[in-house]
Amino acid sequence: MNRTWSLALRRAALIVAIFALWELVTGGFGLGLVLTSPAILARPSSALAELGPYAASGLLWRDLSTTLIEAMVGLVLGIIGGAALGLALGYWRRASELIEPVLVSLNSLPRIAVAPILLPWLGLGIASKIALSFFTVFFVVFFNTYLGVRSVEPELVKAVQVMGGDRMHLARFVVLPSVFTWIFAALRTSVSFALTGAVVGEFVGASSGLGYRLNIAAGLLDTKRVYLILLILMVFAVTLVEIAKRVEARLLRWRPSAVLAG
Amino acid sequence: MSIALEHVGIRFRAGVEALRDVTLDVGRGEFVAVVGPSGCGKSTLLSAIANLLDPAECEVVGRILVDGSAPGTKSRRELNLGYVFQRDALLPWQTIDQNVQLGLAIRDVDPRERRERSRALLEMAGLTGFDRYYPHQVSGGMRQRAALVRTLAYDPQVILMDEPFGALDAQNRMLLQSELLRIWQASPRTILFVTHDLAEAIVLAQRVVVLSRRPGAVKAVYDIALPYPRDAFALRGSAEFGRLETTIWQALRDEFRATLPEPGVA
Ligand SMILES: Nc1ncnc2c1ncn2[C@@H]1O[C@H](COP(=O)(O)OP(=O)(O)OP(=O)(O)O)[C@@H](O)[C@H]1O
Ligand SMILES: [Mg+2]
Repeated sequence: MNRTWSLALRRAALIVAIFALWELVTGGFGLGLVLTSPAILARPSSALAELGPYAASGLLWRDLSTTLIEAMVGLVLGIIGGAALGLALGYWRRASELIEPVLVSLNSLPRIAVAPILLPWLGLGIASKIALSFFTVFFVVFFNTYLGVRSVEPELVKAVQVMGGDRMHLARFVVLPSVFTWIFAALRTSVSFALTGAVVGEFVGASSGLGYRLNIAAGLLDTKRVYLILLILMVFAVTLVEIAKRVEARLLRWRPSAVLAG
Repeated sequence: MSIALEHVGIRFRAGVEALRDVTLDVGRGEFVAVVGPSGCGKSTLLSAIANLLDPAECEVVGRILVDGSAPGTKSRRELNLGYVFQRDALLPWQTIDQNVQLGLAIRDVDPRERRERSRALLEMAGLTGFDRYYPHQVSGGMRQRAALVRTLAYDPQVILMDEPFGALDAQNRMLLQSELLRIWQASPRTILFVTHDLAEAIVLAQRVVVLSRRPGAVKAVYDIALPYPRDAFALRGSAEFGRLETTIWQALRDEFRATLPEPGVA
């Protein structure tokens, strides 16, 4: 306990130090030390000061909720779709042999590159962002699930078979638990992928959302707002990943902790 | 239930001939041990009896009958076979208690009865208080004991055991041998027990089958005329035990020798 607390303290100190240094080199603390143009690097305190007007205008809440909804819906659909296809193909060898090259080529495509074609299909609303978010998450979950089915411990399968277990028992006692560990291993990556999908989708064309607002601010050379939104995105992502980590630790508590730490 | 093997040969398509012309009968309620050098096909033999070999991977000739029927002709639940694997094969995502209940859950036994039976078995295995632990949280010996009672839980009439105590230290090994003896003496069921430990084979079994090095064939069969109930500890000091060990070791030694490089000629 002591060790974890002292580590948390030291980590917090490091973050404070980074911000202090940043504040210093952008002319903060009244010392007048400016290493770069404020158009490139905003001072953290002035970026944070932007939070007031942004929130007061009501746009902050709207942008946050738009991006959150896009990312979450994309994440959930991506996990469900990826897990379903991964399970189906993991079980159905014939089909997987046939379809694998297609999936591998689609997967090797930089996923966010499909954003420009999603827009004319699905419009400027949240549907196109959900689709992009889904697309990025889907493949991660699909490949993990697929590998999970394929790499089930043969000894465990045999143990259940010998006891008289049928396919349903195998799925319930061996395949699904094994697949879940693979899906959860991908959960943290999936969360940040979902967010990336949503934000990039907003860059391409939207009417609200953090990515949309970021893009506009950058176009107007409003550096303070750009940095503010980047900070918000970071806090947002860290929170989501932290939740994912908690969920994972809770559901995978049967695993040796050495694996969890990794 | 009995096991009968007639001229069984198994060849893996990868190129290894694991077993050749194995003929062996294990009668109902009989305890038979199989010893032989590493890689001679002992695990393969048990897998074949339990119908766990992948036909795409190997070819089986000869006849295998479990309770008079060939592998795959009767449903597994009907056969009611127990198998203790070389590695414990506990489900890592289930607690010790859930693992012990696995066979009963598969048989749709009422949850209350499942819990009761599991509690009694865990007590017998000295695992009381560890029922909610996950396999990685208990010692290797405890896992192996859990695997043993998991097999006993659904009361199989034939039990195949693949070096079940192989990974244990000498003390734990002897304790578990005593426990297995006690269980079998209380209610004899057909047991085919694979081990590389000759003393273990003699202490436990009514008959010891010596397999030759690969491809494994039955080299010799010895009746162990030591009376039951046996005491796994006391037996090791007896003259009869020593005599048997020496005799069987003669047969086994040549097979082991051939698998090792000859020492001394550098
Ligand atoms: N799935 C497989 N494919 C190809 N060869 C195999 C397969 N399984 C086992 N073999 C080979 O068959 C032979 C017998 O293996 P087996 O596992 O039955 O030996 P064993 O007597 O149980 O050895 P040990 O005492 O070390 O456990 C070995 O040479 C092994 O390499
Ligand atoms: Mg073996």
